[in-house]
Amino acid sequence: MPMIFKKSLRDMMIHNRSTLVAILALTIGLWGVGTLMVSLHIMTNDLDENYSQTSPAHISVRSKDFNRLNIEELRKNPNIMAAEIRDKSILRVEVRPDEWLPLWLYSVDDFERLSLGKFFPQNGSYPPPEGTIVIERNNLLVSEFDIGSNARVQSRGSIVRTEISGVIFDPGQAPSTQDAIIYGYTDQANYSRISRRPAGQRLIIRFADAHSKQDVIVKFDELSKEMARMGIRIDRFKIPKFDEHPHQFQLNTLLYLNGVIGLLAFVMAMALISQLMNSIFARQIRQIGIMKAIGATRWHIFASYTARVLVISFFSISIGLPLAIVTGQAYSAFVASIINFDVLTTQLPPAIYIVITTLGFVLPLLFSLPALLKGTRISVNDALGDYGITVNESAVLNRVTSFTGSKILSLSVKNVGRRKGRMIVTMATMALGVAIFLTGFDVRASLSDFLDNNSRSMKYDIKVVLGEKLPSEIAMSPFTDIEAIKSIEGWIGGIGRVQSGVASTASGIGLVVAPFDTGLKDYDLIQGAWLTGSQELEFVVNQKAAVSFEPLVIGQRYPIAVGNTEVFAKLVGVVREFDVAKIYLDLTRYNELVNPDKKINSLMISLKDRSYENVIKVKKEIERIIVETGTSVLYVESQAERAVIIFEHLNIILMVIVFLSLLVLVVASMGMGSAMGINVMERTREIGVLRAIGATPETIVQLFVVEGFIISVLSVAAGLVLALPMSSLAAQFFGVLILGENTPLDFSFSEIGFFITLIVTLLFGYIASRVPAKKATRVSVREAIAYE
Amino acid sequence: MENIIELEQVTRKFTQGERTFTALKNVGLGVRKGEYVAVVGKSGSGKSTLLNLITGIDHPSSGHVRVNGTDIHDLSESELARWRGRNIGIVFQFFQLIPTLTIIENILLAMEFVNIVPKNERRNHARTLLEMVSIVDHANKFPAALSGGEQQRAAIARALANDPDILVADEPTGNLDSTTAASVRAVFSELVTRGTTVVVVTHEEVDQQKFDQVITLQDGEITHFNFGDPGDERHGKCL
Repeated sequence: MPMIFKKSLRDMMIHNRSTLVAILALTIGLWGVGTLMVSLHIMTNDLDENYSQTSPAHISVRSKDFNRLNIEELRKNPNIMAAEIRDKSILRVEVRPDEWLPLWLYSVDDFERLSLGKFFPQNGSYPPPEGTIVIERNNLLVSEFDIGSNARVQSRGSIVRTEISGVIFDPGQAPSTQDAIIYGYTDQANYSRISRRPAGQRLIIRFADAHSKQDVIVKFDELSKEMARMGIRIDRFKIPKFDEHPHQFQLNTLLYLNGVIGLLAFVMAMALISQLMNSIFARQIRQIGIMKAIGATRWHIFASYTARVLVISFFSISIGLPLAIVTGQAYSAFVASIINFDVLTTQLPPAIYIVITTLGFVLPLLFSLPALLKGTRISVNDALGDYGITVNESAVLNRVTSFTGSKILSLSVKNVGRRKGRMIVTMATMALGVAIFLTGFDVRASLSDFLDNNSRSMKYDIKVVLGEKLPSEIAMSPFTDIEAIKSIEGWIGGIGRVQSGVASTASGIGLVVAPFDTGLKDYDLIQGAWLTGSQELEFVVNQKAAVSFEPLVIGQRYPIAVGNTEVFAKLVGVVREFDVAKIYLDLTRYNELVNPDKKINSLMISLKDRSYENVIKVKKEIERIIVETGTSVLYVESQAERAVIIFEHLNIILMVIVFLSLLVLVVASMGMGSAMGINVMERTREIGVLRAIGATPETIVQLFVVEGFIISVLSVAAGLVLALPMSSLAAQFFGVLILGENTPLDFSFSEIGFFITLIVTLLFGYIASRVPAKKATRVSVREAIAYE
Repeated sequence: MENIIELEQVTRKFTQGERTFTALKNVGLGVRKGEYVAVVGKSGSGKSTLLNLITGIDHPSSGHVRVNGTDIHDLSESELARWRGRNIGIVFQFFQLIPTLTIIENILLAMEFVNIVPKNERRNHARTLLEMVSIVDHANKFPAALSGGEQQRAAIARALANDPDILVADEPTGNLDSTTAASVRAVFSELVTRGTTVVVVTHEEVDQQKFDQVITLQDGEITHFNFGDPGDERHGKCL
């Protein structure tokens, strides 16, 4: 092996600590970016694969006239890829004693020949024997169900029992762990027995050559005309998001997050590599001078140190790449378990290995290039004449330090400014790390505040959504005797994720009809005003529904289909909420138009004691009354539990934000440790002099620790300033991603996050400065003074 | 006889802030091939600056430096590095061996840079040089395992790795005890007898009889040239 490379390897082994830090930093960077790439590939690929293998329906259509439909003939229609009768009823099932969850019960025409909306048997019997149902595998996590359980289903007020005979996997459904819904599948006869509804009234279709929602609308338009000719009157239809998993938004958020922070961690790792190369050159500058003096050209020097970077890259790739694959797969498996899909990828494409390896070799070299060029260009004279740090007197620093009194503090302050370039790079890296870490907390605070506001805006505690519309006195009567209830209001529509189906606009947006002056909800208005109770029909939309109005103009009148009546209503405002698309109308005006019997289907209950324990207690009491009185109910939901469900949706995102941000801060701190290491090394002779004139080892350590402290404090200050616009942008970004278009989250400053950042940064700064300083004090005064 | 080292009206100024300091003022000198030359003077007299100009490590502010027939300051940094490797061996006061390479590897490194000794001969050549400076037994030791004198001998062997015509040494004995220093000086004398031009910079008193030329510097100016050989036509000339 050429001596120049042998020298590089030996240098690396002798300076094993900085070599290890460099390998560690690059490994973390590659790990971060590799995990991102692996998980990105697996998650996008496999969620799509999982979802597409279900052959998801493009539309569901309800009609009582499907008995006139020859489904075999319909399937021959060239526009139709597949069509099936798949009835759906929203019922309730007791998952634990006195604990009920919505049950989405589907009828299946032929379990053995599913052509769309496919699901896959996992355990137990399949197809389910007569009179039994199979449930989705994720349901087992939110219930006490098992194969053989005898489930109690509430259907139109009656309790029906049905056995659970098997477990299936339906990748097309939102996970029960997050949406708290039980999915049951049974034959048509058992469906009718349980739901007490006739089967054969809901058709699901997948069109041929449909590539967008628009294609679906066009093809359905043609189909509906054909059906009309057959005398089939369509009652309702629903077009889900085109070929998109219900929780794709969550995955998107995670992928964006991984992308942004993983990339930042990599960039920070690169900055650290650059700093480490600077440190290597600082340490070796005289050796470079010697080598040049005995005949080394720039190329020799360049090749020698490039080899060093490549060796660092080699080891980092050797560790980081397998690590990235393992964690990428583990992370994908974790997300898959959260979103309820199966990881199908068994082999990663070679491109991933090639890209990570190339990144691992090329980018560190690029980031080291300035240091490499600086090191190779230095003249022999400058290299041999380099004795570490020189001092440029600064009048400002002198004035500042003159006030400190303490000579150690004064010296530390002056030392901070001695290598301005290095200090700026260290501080910039650290400040960026602080800013990202703080942004993580701020975004978390923004989300948390949003959820708190959302919860606070709900002044009711329990919502009972009835299975049918009832006159308000009758609907309320079973519950009026409950002592704990403060008030009950009757509304129409549904506010939760389950739509009542009583009323909807033509485009399928849910309607909520409430008294305009309801005291049970404060809305977070983004534009315009809340309903005024004016004689003219007014409406308010939430931000998700707002995107359906193009262009959205406050004060303009829009046609709205309410039931079978189409009316013009004036748009008065837009509210923001974490919910599906909804339109709000005033109850009085609504009743005048389409509800002369003044029937309602939702009971909004507020309690005297709003504590979580009391709400749960009263909810159980309400559930008991519902079963006893045979009241037909779709679901009962408490605000407290709803908050938990929403938090479950977002918690994983918040966890990832904070973890990845911490990783970035760790890498930044390593950079600071490296810079302090160079400072200490450059001042070895100075340390010797200080000790020779009486400074104790502890004084020397103190000197560097104070210097590290000053850099940390300045970095936190700079990071804080940087975090404000970053947090604001991030809040906007995640608002749009989670809540939909035009819905930025408000910026929130996380005080706890700030204190944690401050403490973590100071702690890291302390460690980063104390360790090299402590090491330097172990060198004897004689050796330190003789240090070249 | 032609000079192997020739300086004409060489001035070297350094600027620090607003102050300009002249390290060498209009210096002119000539060294013939195979001469043993000492450059003496107190600390700060300009000795090291003179040596740096001869080796091409530093550039004159004005004047010309010609070494072994080359105007060295016309060369680029890389050309200079190659030229230096072939023509000049340098010995430093603090030995400046590469600490992570063994003694023989330090010598091989110098050969590798210049690439004039055939690869298959390098190791033998290195051992020959180590034998010449009497430390061949330490060939595979790292510098830190050797005494100061041994390290300096190793540095001399490294300086001779590519058989340069000129060897310059900056305070080569400044860090050694008198016995070790004497042995190092003996090596230089031996080299001169073999035809190598040796220029030694020192602040110590020198035995003028042992040198062909003793150049005395004071405040950046040459105050004396002493030529040791009474037969030399330059003998007895002083500036």
